[in-house]
Amino acid sequence: MKAWIPFVGVGVLAALAGASLWLANTPDAPSVPKAGAVDAAPATVMAANFVDHDGKSRVLGQLGGKVIVVNFWATWCTPCVEEMPGFARLQTRWEPRGVRFVGLANDDPVKVKAFGEKLAINYPLWTGEAAVMDLSRRLGNRIGVLPHTVLLDGDGKVIESRIGIYAEDQLEARLAEILLRGP
Amino acid sequence: MRRFLGLAAAFACLCLPARAASPDDPLEADQAFRPTARLISGTAEASGRHGIDVEYRIAAGYYLYRDRMRFEVLPATLLIGPAEFPRGLEIEDPFLGKSVIFRESVTIHLPFTVSSVRPGPYRVRITAQGCAESRLCYAPFVQELPLNIPPGYRVTDSPTRPLPPGLQR
Repeated sequence: MKAWIPFVGVGVLAALAGASLWLANTPDAPSVPKAGAVDAAPATVMAANFVDHDGKSRVLGQLGGKVIVVNFWATWCTPCVEEMPGFARLQTRWEPRGVRFVGLANDDPVKVKAFGEKLAINYPLWTGEAAVMDLSRRLGNRIGVLPHTVLLDGDGKVIESRIGIYAEDQLEARLAEILLRGP
Repeated sequence: MRRFLGLAAAFACLCLPARAASPDDPLEADQAFRPTARLISGTAEASGRHGIDVEYRIAAGYYLYRDRMRFEVLPATLLIGPAEFPRGLEIEDPFLGKSVIFRESVTIHLPFTVSSVRPGPYRVRITAQGCAESRLCYAPFVQELPLNIPPGYRVTDSPTRPLPPGLQR
């Protein structure tokens, strides 16, 4: 029996207790619910099929760019509709630097088009049926809520997956961080 | 020594989840919106009505949309009429216009449209939508509740009788 082992054990316990207390007393980032694990290969994500407002088939891989901001939303979802004008402003500011926004909704295409025009949304709003929420779940939205925003790199690899409202200033800071320093 | 290490591991398990559940994490739909179903048998307590009462307990800070709820009874041999809702709370949204919502709790009545029903096990299938106040909304979710109709249950009242005050179809 090595005499030092109990002392190491006590040290580990003390460290765990300290870490636990520190974690418990450290304030969380404000109102950022956790997204779950991602279960989708980048190639599958980029090949997922949707329809634009003219009825044409579209895939995320067509968007190009260095970062794709995929926003899952619905016309009946108030928090979604609240955050979209901010996304439109970010699209204007960041599109020249390689950021592409796209909205995906399992919703009536006619309503989606009307909403896009009413809110002056300047990025594509595509629709799909069950495939929209299925992709959302596979990208970390395990409880099926909206809005859900996913940041992809140019190859379709997930950089970040966030459920709930993504505030304009927070998303802008994140885009700057990704494009200036890398994901 | 093994006992000591086992205790240390157990202690570690107790310590580390200290921050696992944040109040900012949204609830699962089944936790935020908890329905139960019960058979209403035409007693005075049930205002003479027959059918199914679906009661929702809604978590604080969450709400259900009235006009996005759909009800079915399976097997579909048991026919129900239009759902009867209490008044609810009308909200005005700058983007979406007017909606009626329910907070805290709501009981929805599903009247039978037949004069007799076959006893046996049934399921009430509900499709609903709701939101966590100002944060996020749930895509349409489906919940199923068991309902047993005992032998001898009969609908003795007219299914088209007037609604009690405060309910609307």
